[in-house]
Amino acid sequence: MARRPNLGAASYVLVVGLLAALALLILVGPVLVVLATSLTDSRAIRFPPQGLSLRWYELLLDTVRSRPIHRAAGNTLQVAALAAGLATLLGTAAAIGISTMRGRLGRLMDAFFLSPLVLPGLAFGLAALVYFTLLRLRPSLELLVIGHFIVITPFVLRTVGASMSQLDPALPEASRSLGAGPWRTFRRVTLPLIAPGIAAGGFLAFMASVDNVPVSLFLSSARTDMLPIRMWGMMESTLDVRVAAVSGLLILAAFLLMLVMERLTGLTRRIRG
Amino acid sequence: MRLAWGLVAPLGLAYSAFFLAPLLILGVVSFYQDEAMTEFGTAQWRRFLLDQFHWKVIGDTLLLGLKTVAATLLLGLPLALVYRAASARWQRVLLFIVVMPLLTSVVVRTFAWIVILGREGLINRLVLDLGLAAEPLRLLQTELGLVISLTQIEMPLLLLPVLAVMVRIDPNVLDASASLGASRWRTLFRVILPLAAPGIAAGCALVFASATTAFISQSVIGGSRLVYLPAIIWQQAMVVAHWPFAATAAISLLLSVSAVIAVIATAGRIAAGRVEAPTHG
Amino acid sequence: MSMNRRRALFGAASLLALPAPLRAQTRGSVTTAIYPGAWEEAFRDHVAPFLKQQSGVDLEMQPLFAVDQIAKFSASRGVPPFDVFVLDPGPRITGIERGMFDKFDASRLSNQALLPSMLVDGWGVGCAAQVVGIAYNPKRVPKPSGYADLFKEPWVSKLGLTGFGTTFGTVSLIEIAKIFGGSEVNIDPALVELKKALPKIAAVGAPAAMPGLFQQGQCAVMYTNTQTVTTLKDRGVDIEFAVPETGASAFFTTMHIAKGSENVANAYKYIDTTVGRDIQAALQKPPYNFVPVNKDVPLLSGLPMKSLDDMTKFVTHDWAKINPLRAAWIEKFNREMAK
Repeated sequence: MARRPNLGAASYVLVVGLLAALALLILVGPVLVVLATSLTDSRAIRFPPQGLSLRWYELLLDTVRSRPIHRAAGNTLQVAALAAGLATLLGTAAAIGISTMRGRLGRLMDAFFLSPLVLPGLAFGLAALVYFTLLRLRPSLELLVIGHFIVITPFVLRTVGASMSQLDPALPEASRSLGAGPWRTFRRVTLPLIAPGIAAGGFLAFMASVDNVPVSLFLSSARTDMLPIRMWGMMESTLDVRVAAVSGLLILAAFLLMLVMERLTGLTRRIRG
Repeated sequence: MRLAWGLVAPLGLAYSAFFLAPLLILGVVSFYQDEAMTEFGTAQWRRFLLDQFHWKVIGDTLLLGLKTVAATLLLGLPLALVYRAASARWQRVLLFIVVMPLLTSVVVRTFAWIVILGREGLINRLVLDLGLAAEPLRLLQTELGLVISLTQIEMPLLLLPVLAVMVRIDPNVLDASASLGASRWRTLFRVILPLAAPGIAAGCALVFASATTAFISQSVIGGSRLVYLPAIIWQQAMVVAHWPFAATAAISLLLSVSAVIAVIATAGRIAAGRVEAPTHG
Repeated sequence: MSMNRRRALFGAASLLALPAPLRAQTRGSVTTAIYPGAWEEAFRDHVAPFLKQQSGVDLEMQPLFAVDQIAKFSASRGVPPFDVFVLDPGPRITGIERGMFDKFDASRLSNQALLPSMLVDGWGVGCAAQVVGIAYNPKRVPKPSGYADLFKEPWVSKLGLTGFGTTFGTVSLIEIAKIFGGSEVNIDPALVELKKALPKIAAVGAPAAMPGLFQQGQCAVMYTNTQTVTTLKDRGVDIEFAVPETGASAFFTTMHIAKGSENVANAYKYIDTTVGRDIQAALQKPPYNFVPVNKDVPLLSGLPMKSLDDMTKFVTHDWAKINPLRAAWIEKFNREMAK
């Protein structure tokens, strides 16, 4: 096909390749630094690490000496799972609804639903605490879930909304004209097509909740200690290496998850094939 | 249309109950005259709006967001193209790399950037060893360093929506474009990017919103000499306990950032309308 | 919301089902705000078990910095999120002005006689002293003799600066102002000098970032308190404390009972325990490194004073005067330091 010995194609590969390589470097660099730091043998966070050891992971997993961290991690994961679950459910529904609205109304709704992301978390946290107190609700795990749910839903809305707007409207119509009901059409046609968007949004929402500091600061109580806040204290006053080890564990967990998924998809392919 | 409202209603109700109400409270608080919140008036709004310094801070904050969006696009889109072309296995590896920043807590991520950008950091060691500069470069506590570090954490926010959209682009469309003699650059700008525009616009909006409000990165990596609106909100709300002024600043940030996002969304819609090749074959 | 209701119903049902004595026992608790990190660790390891053992009271902790406590208390109007505040002098004044504390009756403390009288007033009691001076990296720079040195080489190009956001930052900037002709109520001379030195200064940072910046060599000299220095030193960081020639600054961290608290009796027991001899002695040791306030507790070496009485020679500040000015100082610092 290529009629000219392609300078354009070469420049394309070169430019795209170089920029993508730089992107990978920026993505991975800090993570490698964190991982290296977590393996240090020294008593404080430091780079380059002095001597390699797993002692900080051991300490982090120690059920007695790291119990408060485990409790905070438990709360954080629980809140993130509930809030991200709610956000994915309601956010996906709303994104689908909005995508069928035409013109200014749809745009207005879109802007409104995105606004929690734009309001500094600190201001929302403060105002939410004032509001909940007016309602005579005291800080609890439920309020934390609600607060997180509000600030993370925009991630789902935007990602699913983008997938929806790319969806060919002819497909659901075709399905309906073939006699499928709206629910069946959704499950068999729309859902598989927007699934990557839902997964991406749900994941972003989950991680945003796990790493949220300002909303938790105001809505948590003595019984609902949250991990990022605890980690701030550890980092600021003692340069505790366990802070890096927490991230190391999260990365390891995600890596294992990826391997498992790799296996599963490989398995289904083999079964089907 | 009834179905549409039915789908939006649950989230709409939840937002009205738990977001709109606190937002209204913020609005009311911003119209208190004094920090003890005893009488109403527009003193805080006048104090905020009539001061050139605050306008400069708003400008700097929005600019920081735009620069971050630009840098994230410049690096993120090529990575998305590589992802598109990769095999299923490599796609999973790339996806894992893309989400890695989200797995490192902000607390330790900022430390990693000190390690990399610092005066005795990795970049400077490399630059000095290679003899590229006689003096260590100032990267930490400069806007450049801040944008670099924000690019890392914002990249997943751009790429996840973009990839979700990109994997669904019909390969036949690209083949068609190529067989019509379009160069790869032309296919990229006239076919791939417009088709991915909804995802790109969504990603840009997320990146912009998140970069402009990223208080921790801004203050730790940017330092106190770079003043952005979230730092002022924090100082006023927490350190000096002046809520009316903090509320005023927070609402100003909300409005100005939303305005820019509206522009991004409009641009995305226009771009999506410009596809040369037939989209629905 | 159905989750909420279900939990509420479930909670009510289980409460009814509980035998009466058990319910009474759960009331024996007190919730304290506490600084995250070293403070929380120390109180969890020592104060909580001791309090439980001595008085049967459960100590619950909410990690919050001083300014966060003020904000959170104000936001939850009338329903205090915790029973006891732990505050630095600035937020303490804010708390008094805004009516956040119950009147404090020191005669309810068994340890009252062992506390220096300057630590006790009608609003609360000091539970730890903080001594502020200059921290430096002995491997990188010679020991500075005072704040004036911070503006000279080799220190100025390795100086890490923080603003008026923290108590230690505020008192240090006041001390710098004094050298250049300012005073407790006039910090302008400090800002003028800082602005001149700004192009050379290594970092103007958030307080939270300073330990990391120091550890990685971005800065090698900063102002901070002895507790931070001792704690980091214990962790292998190259850091030493220098008493400025104009004197180290001292202030006290104080405890206050929150207005509207429902656990006042337990709050007194908790505060009494904290300032008691055993706890104060335990908290002075590494890795906590508190400066004790109980006269019965001998001071460990490594502190820039031999006894608590020596602290009267330290520089102290009148926070009733500083507090009203601080908001304006913070704004000024933003404007003067901004690029």
